Amino acid sequence: MTLIKKHIPLAICFIVGLLTLSTYYIPTKASENYIEVMNKWENIMAGFAFLLGLFSLFFSHYNKMKRKVDGWGYSLFVFVGFFAMVIPSVLSHGRQMVGPDLTGLGWGYRFLFNALSGTMFSVLAFYIVSTAYRAFRIKSAQAGVLFVAALIVIVGKVPLGQMIWETVLGWTHVGVTDIVQWLMDVPVVAGKRGILMGLAIGGIVTALKIVFGIERQYMGKD
Amino acid sequence: MLKTRLNFAIIAVLFAAQAALAATPAPKADAAQKQELSGFAAKDMPYDKGEAVLLTWPSGPADVPGASYQVLASSGGAWQTAAELQFPADTKLAADFELPFWAWDRRAQAHAVQVELPGLFPDFKLGDEYKFKVKYVNGKVTAESPEAQAAPRPNLFNLARLNNLVLLVLITVVFFWTVSHAKRKGGLFIRRIAGLDAIDEAIGRATEMGRPIFYSTGIGGMSGVPTIASTAILSEVAKKVASYDTQLKVPHYDPIVMTVCKEVVKQAYTEMERQDSYRDDTNFFVSQDQFSYAAAVDGMIHREKPAACFFIGYFMAESLLLAEVGATTGAIQIAGTDQESQLPFFFTSCDYTLIGEELYAAGAYLSKEPMIQSTLKVQDFGKAFVMVSVAGGSLLLMAGTWFKWEPLVTAIRQIFKAY
Repeated sequence: MTLIKKHIPLAICFIVGLLTLSTYYIPTKASENYIEVMNKWENIMAGFAFLLGLFSLFFSHYNKMKRKVDGWGYSLFVFVGFFAMVIPSVLSHGRQMVGPDLTGLGWGYRFLFNALSGTMFSVLAFYIVSTAYRAFRIKSAQAGVLFVAALIVIVGKVPLGQMIWETVLGWTHVGVTDIVQWLMDVPVVAGKRGILMGLAIGGIVTALKIVFGIERQYMGKD
Repeated sequence: MLKTRLNFAIIAVLFAAQAALAATPAPKADAAQKQELSGFAAKDMPYDKGEAVLLTWPSGPADVPGASYQVLASSGGAWQTAAELQFPADTKLAADFELPFWAWDRRAQAHAVQVELPGLFPDFKLGDEYKFKVKYVNGKVTAESPEAQAAPRPNLFNLARLNNLVLLVLITVVFFWTVSHAKRKGGLFIRRIAGLDAIDEAIGRATEMGRPIFYSTGIGGMSGVPTIASTAILSEVAKKVASYDTQLKVPHYDPIVMTVCKEVVKQAYTEMERQDSYRDDTNFFVSQDQFSYAAAVDGMIHREKPAACFFIGYFMAESLLLAEVGATTGAIQIAGTDQESQLPFFFTSCDYTLIGEELYAAGAYLSKEPMIQSTLKVQDFGKAFVMVSVAGGSLLLMAGTWFKWEPLVTAIRQIFKAY
């Protein structure tokens, strides 16, 4: 049992990990084919896993409806929404358009799915305002620096802000756009690169841990 | 690599004609002159998968504005060419190749053209020999090289990526050294990470309030390193949840991640000897569409008002949608992602955020296993290496620029570049 649950998965992980890594250094057609085959396998597995996901979704919402838990009515919408998209797509053979006309699937995609996705995305604008309000509460010296930097960037990016800057601080002969550019090019990039370098090293070490079987929590340990 | 110095040779008469053309307004306008171009060579393109050939010939004073070259190729039948194989005579030089100094001689005074054969010959076969020649045209003056033959073949190592390989070997050596060191000695000091120390507090709060804990691994696939790091953290969170007998909910975007997380959570409950408390619907699939996922999880957070929310993994625009709704319910929120563009949203909406490599260190930090913890040391060595490299590289670049020593500047730039 240990062989099947532990040793074989670890061996597969080790071999596949090394092979995938080596394709970066070996520029042969075989490397390219190997990556292509692995991608195909990933897609095939994702297809089967999607079925598992679908069963999980239906099972979880069916149970909610069966047990009449709070908000079980929302679970009903999962099934309604699912069949509202699947039935038209079967009837229209998966096509969104037939000539210039929209099929049932096309209509559902354009006027339901896209509209709902767009709505969720647009909600971000309101959340950004509330987040910005929270971020700009000056509780410490660092928060003060953040506020000043953000204020300059906001002023510098808006034409009205640029006009106000020119009127009030024009005598300094320092353009607000130059300050914004400096902020974006120097402190912002420095911070970003610091984080990125840490992430890159962390990513390499995590990959090594997995390839060499030191980190195995993803497969349920021993 | 251009190891052999090629002798430039458009015949002396050609140069004489060139000079005459430049000096005199109208030398015999209709007298076309055809000469031979020497030093032309064809060979397999180094560091490729075997579908290209490298053509080289000397550059020289005949490469004046207005003049052009045309490369021709044949598989035995008619000569073929393409738009990119006709170019001004002062372009496509060896110095233009984006390859490092250890893999390519950029100082060679020569033209270098990479010919991709599948684009020219639809029936291209690996190992077949092809013929090439190049034509020089400058008004009435033309020159043509003799034919050269080459068969492309795949290369077993991309020498241009040697710097990358050396770094990888170095990290691997340090990795094994720290692991063996941990096995022998153990006991490693690890600085406190507030976000991870707060996990106990968050789970304790959820237990006291009798509310669930939400854990999202984001919208990444299982092949993503942040998702793998997230499953390691989920394992530790699930162990604590199991010991406190609190309710854990893990909504998923990716069914493969869901399957892995199911195993991870089940194992955590088993390790804590709380198999009876494990529920199979702890991990559940929501949607594989970004905003549908965000809408569904937002709805659940809004209705169930969890005591704690964990957003750890790969997140994009949904980061703020999730974190902001969590914040409005008053939940303790702990987040971590490798997407630096999403970190500001987590900073402002969450109580604790794992920054940069803390995300990858979290699993080791929480597991308390010496073997896994020892790998944190590799991250520290890596950071030290980066710091020394940045400082040393900057100093050398400044010195090279100050003393106008171009080879040093080029060498430093190429050593730290990915090819």
